[in-house]
Amino acid sequence: MLIYEIFKNYEMLFFDATIKESIMSLNEVSIIFPEIFFVLSILFLILHGALLCTNKSKNYPLIQNSILNLGILILIFTFILVCNNLILLKYSFFNSTIIMDNLTISSKQCILIASIICLLAIQEYLNDQKINSFEYILLILFAIFGLILLCSANDLITAYLAIEVQSLSFYLLAAYKKNSVFSTESGLKYFVLGAFSSSMFLLGSSLIYGTTGTTNFEDCKDLFFYAYPGSFLIEDCNEFSQILNLNLLQFGFLFLLISLFFKLALAPFHIWSPDIYEGSLTSSTIFFAIVPKLSLFILLVRFFQCSFYGFIDNWRYCFVIVAVLSIIVGSFAGLEQRKIKSLLAYSSISHMGYSLLAFSTGTLEGIQVLFSYLLIYILSGLCIWSIFLTLRLKNNYLQKGNKDLSDFVLLVKSNSVMAIFFSTVLLSLAGFPPLIGFYVKLNIFLSVIESTMFFSATISIICSVISTFYYIRIIKVLYFEKGLVGNLYHPIKYKNALTIGFCFFLFIILFLNPNILYFYSYKMCLIEYPL
Amino acid sequence: MNLDMILFYFFSSILLLSSLLIIIEINTIYSILLLVLSFVMATSLLFLLESEFMALIFIIIYVGAISVLFLFVIIMLNVKITSSIKDTLKYFPIGNFLGLVFLIEILLIIFENYKTNSYTNSFLFNFNINWFYKLDSITDLKALGQILYTHYVPQFLIAGIVLLIAVVGAVVLTLSPKKVYIKTQDTFRQVSR
Repeated sequence: MLIYEIFKNYEMLFFDATIKESIMSLNEVSIIFPEIFFVLSILFLILHGALLCTNKSKNYPLIQNSILNLGILILIFTFILVCNNLILLKYSFFNSTIIMDNLTISSKQCILIASIICLLAIQEYLNDQKINSFEYILLILFAIFGLILLCSANDLITAYLAIEVQSLSFYLLAAYKKNSVFSTESGLKYFVLGAFSSSMFLLGSSLIYGTTGTTNFEDCKDLFFYAYPGSFLIEDCNEFSQILNLNLLQFGFLFLLISLFFKLALAPFHIWSPDIYEGSLTSSTIFFAIVPKLSLFILLVRFFQCSFYGFIDNWRYCFVIVAVLSIIVGSFAGLEQRKIKSLLAYSSISHMGYSLLAFSTGTLEGIQVLFSYLLIYILSGLCIWSIFLTLRLKNNYLQKGNKDLSDFVLLVKSNSVMAIFFSTVLLSLAGFPPLIGFYVKLNIFLSVIESTMFFSATISIICSVISTFYYIRIIKVLYFEKGLVGNLYHPIKYKNALTIGFCFFLFIILFLNPNILYFYSYKMCLIEYPL
Repeated sequence: MNLDMILFYFFSSILLLSSLLIIIEINTIYSILLLVLSFVMATSLLFLLESEFMALIFIIIYVGAISVLFLFVIIMLNVKITSSIKDTLKYFPIGNFLGLVFLIEILLIIFENYKTNSYTNSFLFNFNINWFYKLDSITDLKALGQILYTHYVPQFLIAGIVLLIAVVGAVVLTLSPKKVYIKTQDTFRQVSR
């Protein structure tokens, strides 16, 4: 009976806490103030656009350019609000479904900056493709909203909803050009596969909810307080692991992981990505390729490093196999590609493989290396795709969106600075020494070797050398192709040149002074460990 | 075995069978009707669990709106029935092998997990609490509302945004600036036909 009394008292305490929490919740709104501002301004943009472009007295104006500029303005304001929201300690809010720590804030900043640069890059392309409806920008903004929400999700429900916001807008962005067969086809493909992987996510989270009784990462962390890495492998040592049968929970993890690997386009689940990158508009592809990877990895980190840290040893083999497989696929299948977009898709698959390899070490250093690698991936992606989008061929067929490798023949003759920038970024992606790409790749191999995964490290180093071939082939096309006539390009806008130059100089500066990157990524990996 | 269990097994077996038949069935109309059947069975399962609101929402939204919409779409679309036996034979061995292995694994784990209460022998075993006195006796709808509007406000709002995106997407994908392609109803022709 004594236990019962204690239980009752505990319950009373808990009840008081909930009351206090509900009183405090008015203050909590200020935590998600950037998101609230962001959504409200998107709603205003919808109203503004819908009223203005159906206005007969103004003769149905084309407002797509002005909406794009307004979108950039909104992103800048949200960035300022996010920076202003700085909290030094970890806090979770709204019944601990939304978390606010350094990881959240830094990743939100990165995503917002990356999307501002993307929006700057796509403007000319949208005009060329005659995408005149303003909803395109709105959908991009909605996708960014989903992504920054995913960074702060501390709950399976919130994470699912954020993924759904992001992926619904991505399906629409893929299918946006209705008069192109490729675009509609890729949109349909993306929709079917994305819906499939979302349903996998739901099945996994329902299994986790069924076994643990909670969807909250914080509660899961409390529930498995006794578990430490490796504790489930040595069953005799742990009293709890004998009592509980956690196999069903592991199945939940499996489904969740499959869905996240689908979204990240890792190797056995990657088949959709080159098709969709190739088929959809390049302005949509730049978003698919660059922005969502970071926040999906943050969800993985929160899941496996914060709440289910004890289980990571059961999954390390799975992570390593998937990572090595995607490195191999990304480097070998990329050799065959003639189109730049699908080549970049395979390159992104192999880069995601390297990131997952760093993640699979399960150490603090691994997580730090993961984030620094992802930041550099975003940076180089921004640079490469902006160059890709701003180099518009001067021919009669302006709407041709996809570029072959031969479209860049002798770029060094027509625009030598751009050729230098392009080749530098490619060398950084391949991991050549005087650039930041070398540093982060080296760190990944170091952290993998330090956790004694020699075999996978060897394979990935060899594959990295092989994948250098297709980066260098582009450089060969840029510089040394035997052609008499190069192509002519339209002049590049001032702001695009500014962003590309900015990204380019970051590559060199970050190599000379990698402390900036090191500290930033170190701050990001300071999540609260259960141990 | 009491009546509850008998009903549960009855409904769930029909649910599983009909959802299997949805995939196997070649004729799309039949598979939609089977979808309706599986929704109704899921509803009755929810009724057995005494969550009436969810059950009724299931009926109203899934059967009343979505499946009927599917039916209309299929009636309008003039779908040809093509046999997919060739493809099935091509993918049968490896696909079914992998699927069967996965299914057997899941079934094994589920049967193992729910055979006994795993807490029975430990100090974590529940002592008897009469939950009836602990619970508030409020209706299903009220309880849902209390949870939804207190603990899960942001999630509720985000769900609204998901719907908004769906609306924007429907407008974007269907609205075309050229009027030529739109089939409209000509009342005069219809009446005088």
